[in-house]
Amino acid sequence: MIIGEHINQQFGGVPVLNDISLKIPKGEITVLIGPSGSGKTTLLKSLSLVENPAGGRVTIGGESYSFPRTEPVRTQFNFDGSQQLGVVFQNLDLIPHWTNRENMLMPLKGPGPDSVKLEQLIDILKLERFLDKYPHRCSRGEQQRIAIARAFMLNPQYLFLDEVTSALDPELIAAVFKYLMELRTAGIGIFIITHFLLFAQNVADTIIFMQNGSIIEQGKSAIMNNPQSPQLKAFLESLDGILINNRS
Amino acid sequence: MKEVFEIIYRYKAEFLIGIGVTLRMTLCIWIVGIALGAVTGVFSAKFPKVIGLPVRVITFLLGGVPVLVFLYWLHYPFQTLLGIQIEGFYTTIAALAIINAMLVAEQIRNNIEQFPKNYILSAEVCGFSPAEIVLKIQAPHVIRQVLPSVIVIQVVMMHSTLFGSLISVDEIFRIASRVNSEVYKPVAVFSSLAVFFLILSLPLTALSYFLKKKYRYLI
Repeated sequence: MIIGEHINQQFGGVPVLNDISLKIPKGEITVLIGPSGSGKTTLLKSLSLVENPAGGRVTIGGESYSFPRTEPVRTQFNFDGSQQLGVVFQNLDLIPHWTNRENMLMPLKGPGPDSVKLEQLIDILKLERFLDKYPHRCSRGEQQRIAIARAFMLNPQYLFLDEVTSALDPELIAAVFKYLMELRTAGIGIFIITHFLLFAQNVADTIIFMQNGSIIEQGKSAIMNNPQSPQLKAFLESLDGILINNRS
Repeated sequence: MKEVFEIIYRYKAEFLIGIGVTLRMTLCIWIVGIALGAVTGVFSAKFPKVIGLPVRVITFLLGGVPVLVFLYWLHYPFQTLLGIQIEGFYTTIAALAIINAMLVAEQIRNNIEQFPKNYILSAEVCGFSPAEIVLKIQAPHVIRQVLPSVIVIQVVMMHSTLFGSLISVDEIFRIASRVNSEVYKPVAVFSSLAVFFLILSLPLTALSYFLKKKYRYLI
């Protein structure tokens, strides 16, 4: 389990995260929702220790890290056949002088890539056509699929995904989410930021709603139909029922 | 045209000596300048205060002094001050190698400093060690970015070897001037010289343009 306790973050003296505590269990999908600028990406980066929080404590796989501290923590990303924690950023950041295939395979060390998994991902994400192209020759959606595949290839025990389906076609979004559900069944803990609220409503084990750097409400998918806080209610009402409420 | 070939044939021994001296000087300036510049550039980026700042000050000062003045200063007053006498050939190499190194270092430092931090973060998240990030990601990226401008600098350095003639180095320009004073055919002699430099420079300049176009996606 990944545990964040009393996490604070600030940039230039401006508080961005305020005393946030949460847990990311293995084998569950935790979805983070909220309006733009609410601190979702900052929370993802703080919880995965991509960026050190200004204060609080983060425990990853039994190892606790207290903040503030100056040195970055990177052991959670070490790859030894599998990775403790995998992250896909919103801006993807594929290495530009590597082909897409190299971007996927270069991080893997040891006896070579898991060819079964590679073929499976190529098939699910439909990568074949542009696998040997350079990222700058690909569309945003294609780059997004490569970034997702790169993280999946590292066999992480926890996956942190920041808006990774924003440029994908509906059928590919469905394929990615279906694969995430398979990963959940396999015991992977998934923490995902998405504006795709149908996914949150239908698949998430826990939904967390954030606003202004604080967790306003969290719970099972029922909170989408019956929000307790006025902020989540207002947020869902602002969507005018367009993105949710088709749960069958 | 026939006249040009006649002159070149008649003075071929002299021209070959001049070409040899020019090429030797150019090679030395390139090798020393690029090697020294690469090391200085990397350390300037790694230690911006201790090394980067002094290097920038030196580059700034050197940039304000004409190449010829620097060469003369190094050849006459500097050697007088030290009580030594070094051949013009070596003084020219030293002067231009220093200038080359400073220019190359500036390019490398700039590109290392401007290297997108998100690629480093992305690589860290993929489990790359700091050494792997430098070797597999940062260095290839920076080399691709600096290569076009470094090649252009090398062309300018090759052209600048002509200044060596002013401190009695028997490079190609000095030989050509000497031949011209004997045959007095400036159009033929100096046009041949221009063609010689074009033949050497154009492929390099073309390579620079090609690489700049090829790697423009990195910008």
